[in-house]
Amino acid sequence: MSNTAFVPPNVLPPFKLRFAGLLKRKWFRETVLLWPTLTKRRFSNKTEDYGVFKPSLVSHIGQLSIYVRDIARSRAWYERVAGMIHSRTCELEPHPFKEGWCIRCCYMSANEHEECLVLIEEYDPSGRITVPSGMSFFHFALEVKGNQLEDVLAFAKQQQADGFQLNYGPVRHNSEPPLGDGETGGNVACYLYDPDWHNVEFCGAMDTIENYRARYGDLKGKDRA
Amino acid sequence: MNAQTRIPVTNLQHHVFYVTDLERSKAFYIKLFDLQFSALNHPDSSAAMRLSQQEMHFFSFGFHHHDICLVKHHKLKMDNNSMLHFALTVKDAKAFDEVRSRARDMGLSIREGRMLASARPVSRAFCVRDPDKHWIEIIEEPSR
Repeated sequence: MSNTAFVPPNVLPPFKLRFAGLLKRKWFRETVLLWPTLTKRRFSNKTEDYGVFKPSLVSHIGQLSIYVRDIARSRAWYERVAGMIHSRTCELEPHPFKEGWCIRCCYMSANEHEECLVLIEEYDPSGRITVPSGMSFFHFALEVKGNQLEDVLAFAKQQQADGFQLNYGPVRHNSEPPLGDGETGGNVACYLYDPDWHNVEFCGAMDTIENYRARYGDLKGKDRA
Repeated sequence: MNAQTRIPVTNLQHHVFYVTDLERSKAFYIKLFDLQFSALNHPDSSAAMRLSQQEMHFFSFGFHHHDICLVKHHKLKMDNNSMLHFALTVKDAKAFDEVRSRARDMGLSIREGRMLASARPVSRAFCVRDPDKHWIEIIEEPSR
């Protein structure tokens, strides 16, 4: 399953991807951040700087719909790589907000999340399928069954064994070696491009607000400083 | 490895999308949904952001570290041509009414019902656009 010929501008070229793995090395991160360090512009990006102690009105992300060039190809990829289940593919329907355009929707389910992903072919008024630009979102994340570090590592290993190239990871988004890449969230993750160069994160073991509450009580970042 | 032994995914966990003005979008999502600002990754604080020339603001629904992230690419221009919409499921009927009331007070144009004609019915749904014209569907359904 090859990617489309059009490569969105935010897709990292192979040259840069070679450096991505080095983000797990502290010396490399420090080198990259040398200039803001020397110019005293560097600051902490740690979660501890912010307080997250109040629930929002939202429970979870219910659904995401993304444009694809070929539903059959994308469906096969999400079934094969993500183990998602095809729920249904619908007939053409009017585009919800583009007069004269049409869409065809393919609903995909995860193990515990029905129809969470919709693969959409978008047809312009002349009947041509549009090419996704890649510039609406950076990535979206699907949680790996088991939701633990070892589950994501096994998932990553499985993809590589099957010939699917990871574009990043597996890493842990914190600063703890050996997997930490200096980012935030605590989630263990690996990333793959789907056939339309949509960047898909496969993750687990993300930090929860309870972790922080246990550490800091109700104190906000500025109060802890 | 056969299909039976593959490790599947269980759910859509978080979404990271592009915006043009982080502060404007941050204010929008906090005001409409009470999202909690949980972290900031900036090219002056994060090696990955410096290499990718991006800045990312993380928001939590109140349980996980992040559920939605807003990203500003400092070199590339975002558009609406790779995502049609995303849906946020509210906690309960009261939360649905609250978001709807806030959307009205914010002067947002409300589109009634589900975004996709072929989507399965839910208890209630409406859609609004964020400052970058991303379509957000707000739905009320029983909790997972």
